[in-house]
Amino acid sequence: MDPVLVKLALGGVAVLGCIGLFFGIGLAMAAQKFYVEPDPKVEEVLHTLAGAQ
Amino acid sequence: MKRLATYRLLAGALLVALLLAGCKTGHQFVKATEFKDTDKIVLTFAGPVDETWAKNPANYSAYAQPDPDIVLKVKEVALSPERTQVTLTFASPLNTKDPHVLSTTNIVSEGQDLGAATLTVKKLYFGVLLSILLGAALINNFVFTKYIGLCVFFGTSQKKGTAVGMGVVFTIVIACAAMMAWALYQFVLKPYQLTFLNIVVFIGLVSLSVQGVDTILRKVNPVLFKAFGVYLVLVIANCIAIAVPLILADNEYNAPESFMLALGAGGGFLIALFLMASAREKLELAKVPATFKGLPIAFVTAGLFALAFLGFSGLSIY
Repeated sequence: MDPVLVKLALGGVAVLGCIGLFFGIGLAMAAQKFYVEPDPKVEEVLHTLAGAQ
Repeated sequence: MKRLATYRLLAGALLVALLLAGCKTGHQFVKATEFKDTDKIVLTFAGPVDETWAKNPANYSAYAQPDPDIVLKVKEVALSPERTQVTLTFASPLNTKDPHVLSTTNIVSEGQDLGAATLTVKKLYFGVLLSILLGAALINNFVFTKYIGLCVFFGTSQKKGTAVGMGVVFTIVIACAAMMAWALYQFVLKPYQLTFLNIVVFIGLVSLSVQGVDTILRKVNPVLFKAFGVYLVLVIANCIAIAVPLILADNEYNAPESFMLALGAGGGFLIALFLMASAREKLELAKVPATFKGLPIAFVTAGLFALAFLGFSGLSIY
């Protein structure tokens, strides 16, 4: 295969992987920084409901 | 106090930048260049120029920036009585959307040779931005003239409250996503020649910005988060959210232009949703044949709106 194409494909994989990693870490950090305590009552109410739908 | 000083400094810097941008023409003796009508360029000089030099059409040559090899013919030159303003009339209409390059031979003023000038003539940038905004919101309304984003459009246009909520949330998210898409496209995808991955990257970006807005809003403003509720997740399913990054990549828009496109797309979607919701609320009370009840009559209504929006196609402000 044309080495230019191979280089382009590998470069694409690397760049896309980097973008994914960067934004993944960003989102994870945002989720940690803006963490909201879930209300235990919501869970309880949901548990007591029939839950067919 | 310190903050106030910083703001003042910033405002001052902005003012200087604006002034510089407004005055820069490419030659110190030329004060301003602008388009007039469809076939004229007006040059304003800092002092009177010699009539024999100014009135000779052979002293000027112009071309549109994208096509430097097509030299535009100057048909007529008019000089103002105080000899500071020259109006060039071209043989054919100019495409004023493109910047034009106008070069003159050595400018002669009061017998003095002031050197040749190469000037750029372009429309006010503000006007370009406004035309992008209006174009995306009305003339090329995504829902009524491009027929995209219809699933969310019909799903959330039953009540006015829902429609406005969806429109506002969508505008916020699309503005975030478009700015990120612009940055990624210009600084990552284009330099590495990976533009064939546009769609993949932009889909990821849209879901990323939805998730980001969701996470941050939940903590920062729970009231707003409750009000937005389901709509936030629905933005991912909206095709306009993927169309906007693709369009701004295709047209090579810069940052402010991309932002205006996103605002226009969001605003246009909001207008479309609101109009449709108003009509559908009235339709609830109308006597509709059984076969047409619900979605079919909504499609007919949307078609009529689309016809009405066709009227915007002739709209041009700048």
